[in-house]
Amino acid sequence: MELAYYPGCTLYTKAKSFNTSLHKSFEALGVKLNELPHWYCCGTTFGLAHDNRMSLIAPLRILAKAQKEDGRVIVPCSICYNTLKRANYMLKQDTDALEILNEHLEESYDGNEAVVHPLEFFRDNKELIKKHLKKDLKGIKLGCYYGCLLLRPEQEIQFDDPESPTIFEDFVSLIGATPIDFPFKVECCGSYLVVNSPDAAIDASYKVLKNAQANGAEAIITACPLCHYNLDALQKKIKIAHSEFNEIPIFYFSQVLAIALGVKEENLGLEQNKISPVNLLKEYKLL
Amino acid sequence: MNKILEEKDFIRRIEEISNQKVSDCYQCGRCTAGCPFAKFMDAPPNQVIRFIQLGLKDDVLAASAPWFCAACLVCQTRCPRGVDIPRLMEAVRMIHLRAKEGLFDVDKIDKEFLLDAPPLALMSAFSKYTY
Ligand code: SF4
Ligand code: SF4
Repeated sequence: MELAYYPGCTLYTKAKSFNTSLHKSFEALGVKLNELPHWYCCGTTFGLAHDNRMSLIAPLRILAKAQKEDGRVIVPCSICYNTLKRANYMLKQDTDALEILNEHLEESYDGNEAVVHPLEFFRDNKELIKKHLKKDLKGIKLGCYYGCLLLRPEQEIQFDDPESPTIFEDFVSLIGATPIDFPFKVECCGSYLVVNSPDAAIDASYKVLKNAQANGAEAIITACPLCHYNLDALQKKIKIAHSEFNEIPIFYFSQVLAIALGVKEENLGLEQNKISPVNLLKEYKLL
Repeated sequence: MNKILEEKDFIRRIEEISNQKVSDCYQCGRCTAGCPFAKFMDAPPNQVIRFIQLGLKDDVLAASAPWFCAACLVCQTRCPRGVDIPRLMEAVRMIHLRAKEGLFDVDKIDKEFLLDAPPLALMSAFSKYTY
């Protein structure tokens, strides 16, 4: 099987581990990801000003291009996923926008390209994954962190229940590990506030991490490179503010999937994790 | 312009940019209760909305809330009146930014952070703090 694939800017730079482990996981499942030709940044966070729709042009150009390749495109980054899906929704709802924006596009586009998250693909192809599991993840407790953008706004994203989603937990169970549900799994990590108001991001990330640990998580999995940065890189600063805090490794969901599918260690990208998961993985004989 | 007209005009501008009707809010406070960043704001989200409803332009423009709103959409999910609060926050931010106030200044960002941060953090800051 082959699928069109849009990686987004960060999977090529600071989240190479996400990109590589995802590619290798799909490869182990016998699926080839075909990167879109000549893709560019989606513009990140969805523009909310109703009187200026310029920020929609980048996501719509990407989708118009993707449509030429395939009827659906795999998008792993939560921010890209949210922005592309909201752009689609906007075109469907607002005929004025459809007309105005199409004047700016090289090829006409009507909002029909399906934006698919890898977790949705895995949910719909459970047997395929089960057939290829190589390593036993039994016992390792993974906190399932959703953050904001895979869930909200509900009617535009329709990924899962925005207050008590389960797609991550189902995924963790499917690959044989123990999912940890915790109340802060749908709370914000601080997002882009880390740039201008780092204290707010440190506070928000600390609460998420503490809550996951209080519920028994030994590591946390996420689908967003910005959540990953805040939860992982900010731990150094969290420790300064809260001396009782114990470090906890943060994985992309694709890293643990790749481990379960027997992908070679050098393709897991573990060296990009700031809080090293190596000891934890050794403890469970996964390395 | 007389004061009442000026207030009406301000409310209309916010409504145009946000595509929200500020009178829909009945001040239940649910948005503030769930906002992870309310504690950093000098006036919490529901109070900023009240300022807008009353046309209190100076109070709205002095509020820090729009700069602490991470557009996490928790409030939007929970508002019983269907008010899209982050769109109101964006509208206030837009009024500042279009007047060239509060623009993102890369020179003020810690150099070590700039090298370490993922591109989407900086791109998000550009999209939220420029116009
Ligand atoms: S939750 Fe909605 S109705 Fe309640 S105060 Fe906030 S904006 Fe107003
Ligand atoms: S969207 Fe903004 S105002 Fe609403 S809960 Fe999140 S940070 Fe607070």
